[in-house]
Order: sequence, then C-alpha cells, then structure tokens
Amino acid sequence: MIQGVAKSLPGSFLFIFQKLSFQVSFSPDEASNVVKECIEGIIGGVDYSQNKVNQWTASIVEHTLTQLVKQGKPFKYIVNCAVMQKSGAGLHTANSCYWDTTTDGSCTVRWENRTMYCVVSVFAVAIAL
Amino acid sequence: MDDDQSAEETAFVVDEVSSIVKESLEAVIGRNPYEHKRVNQWMSSVVEQSLGQLSKLSKPFKYIVTCIIMQKNGAGLQSASSCFWDNTTDGSCSVRWENKHLYCIVSVFGLAI
Repeated sequence: MIQGVAKSLPGSFLFIFQKLSFQVSFSPDEASNVVKECIEGIIGGVDYSQNKVNQWTASIVEHTLTQLVKQGKPFKYIVNCAVMQKSGAGLHTANSCYWDTTTDGSCTVRWENRTMYCVVSVFAVAIAL
Repeated sequence: MDDDQSAEETAFVVDEVSSIVKESLEAVIGRNPYEHKRVNQWMSSVVEQSLGQLSKLSKPFKYIVTCIIMQKNGAGLQSASSCFWDNTTDGSCSVRWENKHLYCIVSVFGLAI
C-alpha cells in the first residue's frame, strides 16, 4: 500500500522538497525603495541645519530599520546614514564585508538636495534558521 | 576558567578591533594631505587591511567595515547607524581619526555566526 502511494506521488514530493531548500536572499532593490521613502519623508524639502541634523540621522536610521524588520525576513540588519552639508568639501565612503555572499547583501543610496548630501547604507546578514 | 576563555574568544572585543583599525589608518594615510585622486586607493587599502587583520583573529564572526573620509573644509558631517541583531553576541566599534587635512570615520560591525 505504501509503495503504491509513493509511486503515485513522486512529482509533488519533489516539489515540496524544492520549496523547503529554497533560501531567502537579500533584495537590494526593495531595500533601496524603503530607504528612499524614509529619506524623502524626513529631509525631503528642508535645508541643512546644524541643530536638527542629529535628529534627522537618528530618525532616518530608525525608520528604515523598522520598515525593513516589518518585512519579516530572517535577517540581521545594519543601517548607516551620513549627512553632509554642501560646501565644496570632498567626501568619500567605502565598505568591505566578510560574509556569506550567497545569502547576505548590501545596498547604498545616495541622495541630495540643494544644501546637503545624504548617503544611507543597508547591510543584511542572514540568520541561520 | 575554561568558560571565561571560550567566552572571550567568541565575543566582540571593542578595544582589539579599535586598535586594528587605528594601525591601518596610520599606516595607509598617516600625515598625507587630502588628495582627490588618491583617496579612493586609501579607502580601499584601509578597509581591506582592517578586514584582513580581523579575519586573522579567527573568531566566528561576519564583519562589515565602512570608512568615510572627508576633507577639512568647514562643512558639517553627521553619521548615524542603527542595528537589528542579537545584543548578547554582536557588537560594533567606531573609530574617529583625523590629521591636519582630513577627517576619517571607520565603523566595524561584527555579527556572530
């Protein structure tokens, strides 16, 4: 009886096996959209202000992180934000990561308005389930 | 005693990481003035050297190293980061370094495997 059942359901068994071994990987495009919305929402039309920049960077990283966590994916996240006044100075940023390239990933968003630059980086590291 | 030793071997030690980063910065940039053409090379070197030294520690961590270099020109720069991780095992360390001509901020994040 058992053998008979096994013979008649090989296709669906394989399908289930494939589903279980599918691994979630980071989607930079999705994360990029989340970041852009957060930045626009917080510093969209305002000018650089030394008093407020502290609040802005804190809000941007917190909101971005909250939105990413809401997606419910099995990742640890790091969100980094730098805001710089436009005054002719040069700014360079770089990052290097030692991780599992099949599951982990990052995305960097560069944004500017008339008076400031904003660079936000999101790093996602998969959690072993 | 054994427990303490193994805990230290698998924890993120901020001082150790901080000194690795400072050494890389001194070695790569030192007292050089800000030069637009060379900054890219410096950043790659700082980041790769730091990462190399960190992986030599052979701890069960994944690392992320970020570096920001800014010319001293009177502009304001603010940087913030927020992390969603396991507080008991993961950690980060930020090193602010400067010379007469530029500022440099290097952040290292260590996530336990």
